[in-house]
Amino acid sequence: MKKLFLFTCLFSVLQLQSQNKQILYDFADLPQTLLLNPAIEPSYKFHVGLPFLSGISSNIGSSNFKLTDIFANDGRSINDKISSIINSISSRDFGTINTQIEIINAGFRLRDNYYINFGFYQEIDAIGYFPRDLLVFFNEGNATNLNRPFSASHIRYKFDYLGVLHAGISKIINDKLSVGGRLKIYSSSINLQSNNNTGTFTTVNGQNSIYRHIFSNVNINLLTSGLIEDNEFVDDAKSIIKNTFFGSNSNVGLGFDFGLNYKISDQLQFSASLLDVGFITYKNNVKNTRIRGDHIFEGVEFEYDANSNLDYWGQIDQAFKDQLPNTEDEVAYTSFRPVKLNAALKYSFGEKRRLLCYNEVYKDYYENAIGAQLFSVSRPLTTQLALTLFYEKELIKNTWAKLTYTVDDFSYTNISFGFSTQVSKFNFYIMADNLLEFSNLSAANSLSFQLGFNLLFN
Amino acid sequence: MKFFRILFITSALIFNSCAEDLDFDQVNDYVLRPIYTSALTSFTLLPAQLFDSNGVQQNSITDITNFEVFTDDFVKDNIVKIDFYSEIKNDFDRAVTINIDFLDRNNNVVYSFTPIQVQSKELDFTYLEEIAIASNPTLSETFKIRVEAVLENTGTQMNPNSTEEFEFKSAITVYIEADF
Repeated sequence: MKKLFLFTCLFSVLQLQSQNKQILYDFADLPQTLLLNPAIEPSYKFHVGLPFLSGISSNIGSSNFKLTDIFANDGRSINDKISSIINSISSRDFGTINTQIEIINAGFRLRDNYYINFGFYQEIDAIGYFPRDLLVFFNEGNATNLNRPFSASHIRYKFDYLGVLHAGISKIINDKLSVGGRLKIYSSSINLQSNNNTGTFTTVNGQNSIYRHIFSNVNINLLTSGLIEDNEFVDDAKSIIKNTFFGSNSNVGLGFDFGLNYKISDQLQFSASLLDVGFITYKNNVKNTRIRGDHIFEGVEFEYDANSNLDYWGQIDQAFKDQLPNTEDEVAYTSFRPVKLNAALKYSFGEKRRLLCYNEVYKDYYENAIGAQLFSVSRPLTTQLALTLFYEKELIKNTWAKLTYTVDDFSYTNISFGFSTQVSKFNFYIMADNLLEFSNLSAANSLSFQLGFNLLFN
Repeated sequence: MKFFRILFITSALIFNSCAEDLDFDQVNDYVLRPIYTSALTSFTLLPAQLFDSNGVQQNSITDITNFEVFTDDFVKDNIVKIDFYSEIKNDFDRAVTINIDFLDRNNNVVYSFTPIQVQSKELDFTYLEEIAIASNPTLSETFKIRVEAVLENTGTQMNPNSTEEFEFKSAITVYIEADF
């Protein structure tokens, strides 16, 4: 049963895709690299990804916490383990899941200088920071935490489930430079987000009562779209999926990718891209909850006035409603997509080889390449960074391998491996990261792998 | 053949991973044990408040409030213990006894505290009563709190113009034990 659970976890992970695709970036001329940098110049005439199978990949990660921390069979009490995790995490630690499944992906060469490509993919993107104060409040309560402010600013998360229709073009400007761009139209089905909250709850010793409970500068906004319709949770899977395909209740947005690829010399190349510069406006099935205000609660103060029959509890309830109102609204809101930046410096060396690309055009390349890549993604709290060193080699004709070492928020020891091969027109690629953790996947802070099938035509 | 050897090694590397045997059933052993504390009731009495419109001293006064915390299902189902704590300052010229009752919706007493007797001029009196819910299961039906202050009958009336005060403050601490 446990193995089944784990397998299910891993399988669900299989459908997820890393935000940072350090192995896939500019690797082996794969069509999927165009989604990471629209300026990468493919060497084929046209390509078709196998529908639903051209881009299956996975990423799940959690900084400063892993499955074994809680579920290891080590004889320690789970209560102790959870308390120790809560004490060790900070509100800057987070968990992420990113899913992208390519439904279609195709492209073709337009004249010799342009490569046009387009497709549609579905994406689930979620990040949740650990609301440390909230966890402490629920795990320990306030009795042992007098004078400690519990902060609402730790409530910080974002979840998106959307479809992305995209079309891109890469253009060879000259022998050295190629540029590319991509237009994306987003169709969001579900969005949940909360960020920039303020406010504290503190219990202190009181003057007129034993304790004062102080709610200070509270401003909490919980925004949702696509989750609640007519005050009921939307539980119709068909309609949820349909809205990622521009269904009637979808929320539409617009975005762009930009890229460039510059050959500094015959062997040295610089490339960079900016992805998902865009936004989505959420108008349909919006339900927002907001709590704002300041309030001090000091218990019930009896007046012992025989002439009045005071409803003390009613007064307390009303004071909370007046001073700390909890309101709901359907106000539309706009959310920016997490912008990703890729940059890479690649040095090719070794045996020089020649590839027949298209229309009698040949491309020279080297057997090996080394280099460095930088990745960053804008997140609600900070920008997350990852630095990768890589070595890439053509093992035999049309069969490539890439080994990477990445330092990021999750670990300093992430070694990844990718493999791509082409037999006739048929291309297959597979990649996995965190190889050092493969001896014990449960102890990994993050896991990802990617695989797919394409047909490439010269 | 080299191609197949490479494919084999790659596949072996990627698919031949292991995972430490995790015990997800441990979740069933997890018990949430928060302890919440809150100010409960407080009051300050001056002698004048104890005299009726005819100038006759009342020897006891009572006030009552709803206390709807236990109507929350999570609290009601998972509460295991409460601590009632009070701090009292009696500057009156006589002893005062405080009677506290927890009542249900229909004003039936579900728990009566031991009467708290505070001697005259006792300015730093504290009182703690710990109540296990297992021994007092009806306590979770509490919907109202009634607090009565009873003056010692000394045979003489207090001075209604006196500024001597009787101060009462109380807090409740709720112990929760909830399965995951």
